Amino acid sequence: MSARLPHQSRSAQLVLILVALAFIGFFLVLPLVAVFAEALAKGLATYGAALVEPDAISAIKLTLLVAAISVPLNVVFGLCAAWAVAKFDFRGRSLLVTLIDLPFSISPVVAGLVYVLLFGAQGWAGPWLIDHGVRIIFAVPGIVLATILVTFPFVARELIPLMQEQGRVDEEAALALGASGFKTFLRVTLPNIRWGLLYGVLLCNARAMGEFGAVSVVSGHLRGLTNTMPLHVEILYNEYNFAAAFAVASLLALLALVTLVLKTSLEWKFGYSHGSAK
Amino acid sequence: MISLHNISKSFGAFAALNNIDLTVRDGEFLALLGPSGSGKTTLLRIIAGLAFPDRGHVRFNGEDVTELPVADRKVGFVFQQYALFRHMSVLDNVAFGLTVRSRAQRPAKAKIRTRARELLDLVQLDGLGDRYPAQLSGGQQQRVALARALAVEPQLLLLDEPFGALDAKVRKELRRWLRQLHEQMGLTSIFVTHDQEEALELADRVVVLDRGVIEQIGTPEEVYMTPRSGFVSGFVGDSNSLAVTVRGGRVQFEGRPLDLPVERLREGSARLDFRPHDVTLSKDGHGLPLQVSGVYRRGGSWRVEGTVNGSDRIVEIDLDAHAAPPELGDRLAFSITRARVFAEESVR
Repeated sequence: MSARLPHQSRSAQLVLILVALAFIGFFLVLPLVAVFAEALAKGLATYGAALVEPDAISAIKLTLLVAAISVPLNVVFGLCAAWAVAKFDFRGRSLLVTLIDLPFSISPVVAGLVYVLLFGAQGWAGPWLIDHGVRIIFAVPGIVLATILVTFPFVARELIPLMQEQGRVDEEAALALGASGFKTFLRVTLPNIRWGLLYGVLLCNARAMGEFGAVSVVSGHLRGLTNTMPLHVEILYNEYNFAAAFAVASLLALLALVTLVLKTSLEWKFGYSHGSAK
Repeated sequence: MISLHNISKSFGAFAALNNIDLTVRDGEFLALLGPSGSGKTTLLRIIAGLAFPDRGHVRFNGEDVTELPVADRKVGFVFQQYALFRHMSVLDNVAFGLTVRSRAQRPAKAKIRTRARELLDLVQLDGLGDRYPAQLSGGQQQRVALARALAVEPQLLLLDEPFGALDAKVRKELRRWLRQLHEQMGLTSIFVTHDQEEALELADRVVVLDRGVIEQIGTPEEVYMTPRSGFVSGFVGDSNSLAVTVRGGRVQFEGRPLDLPVERLREGSARLDFRPHDVTLSKDGHGLPLQVSGVYRRGGSWRVEGTVNGSDRIVEIDLDAHAAPPELGDRLAFSITRARVFAEESVR
């Protein structure tokens, strides 16, 4: 880009670019490189062994399971919330939008503690749950609940502005042509929001798999049972098993990179597909 | 036949429509004309079933459809910005109304495509079926929207500001073409417009709306020549207004009696409306004094603007294009040959 504001000197431009690059290099690229370097420091064999070890496999499986449950639920919730906010006028609409943002503004630790307070042994519903043999805290359900709470804004936040901008007229056109509500959603609304939805799902998924704080509070850190990948990394690290810790961490980092690439390509497609062919 | 009885609709404290009664005959081409905020689009949406009245009834051929949603009314609706589905090809857009039918009523795939192609032929877009809406011009998009609405074979075609987004030349062509299509297909059509010229040119009858109330219903000729209120007179066609008083059955302007045949006069202050072409100018001082403040050519005539009696009230007058136009600053006199007096409103 050679476009400059009239009063901007070329040297100022250069300095700003260098500062930004140095910042990104130091805080983002360097750590990422370090993760992979550490993971592979003791050779590929050690790297592979750390990933196929039973506790690691169990952590990976649990992480996938949690994401597989929480992401679809948040897609449904996000669609409903965005639809309600964007296409209907009702009292408390702005309150709903504010509440959707809540998980962004509270500490994940608090989000986890809330469920301990609700369902823990000393919590409100705890004794009743124990009597009926239902375990939520220190078990998979708690992890899923905490993950859902932390990740639910992602899809909704992505869709609300998009659907608000698109308005209701396309849906009205479909209805006027005799389409049912469901067909209108499937054939008109969904295609209109598909890129935004996919984008939201990606971000939601990345966070669901990477969440540490809230999950840490409710998980109980039971190896092979309630450890997700981020928790497993922490345990390995605390045991000075750096190579294994970084090996598992590298998987999470890889997930971040894949998400980034997909997100960028979506943005590219999103940006150019809007209002034009395909 | 479509009939509306006592339709009222409010948005919060704003009364969009107030006690609307209207009957639309089969085969009629009807214009809903009014300024923005007059309730014309709301009325069209209520007829379509996209909006629902707070009070009153909508009947199609005597059957009460007030609560029937749009999908069940079998009307064709053309939206202001066309609302084409941007992720579908033109052909898929046109076919949409047929493809979303329930399995029992849906024609075979090949048949749907044939029908969609026929409709594209009808709107003179043959060969553009594989394009996407964004690749078409405004006029073409408009015709796709029309073909899509006609695919479900509606008896009633509703159009919201159908020519609003088009440039003047395209607009004129489309108008003529739409009128032909209306005749050819035996449709009943209702369109919303804020453009009085469009309403007068296209419609069999014009419904003039203002602030949620019907001011007048009539043929273009009636609405233009015998406006029933000051609002209609001012909104439909160009019109001059003077504040006058009626005394002893005669119209007076600033104390001078005007020689005008006017009917049904009430004593007191009133508003005198006359068209620019219902005025004669003279140089010999016969009539009201006028100082020329503007002269310009307006197609086949001259438009002269002048101030009356040294006030800042401006009157517009049409002169024959072959006559020599007056000069700026000329002091002339004008007399009104045909006018209407409205008692109710003040002069805008």
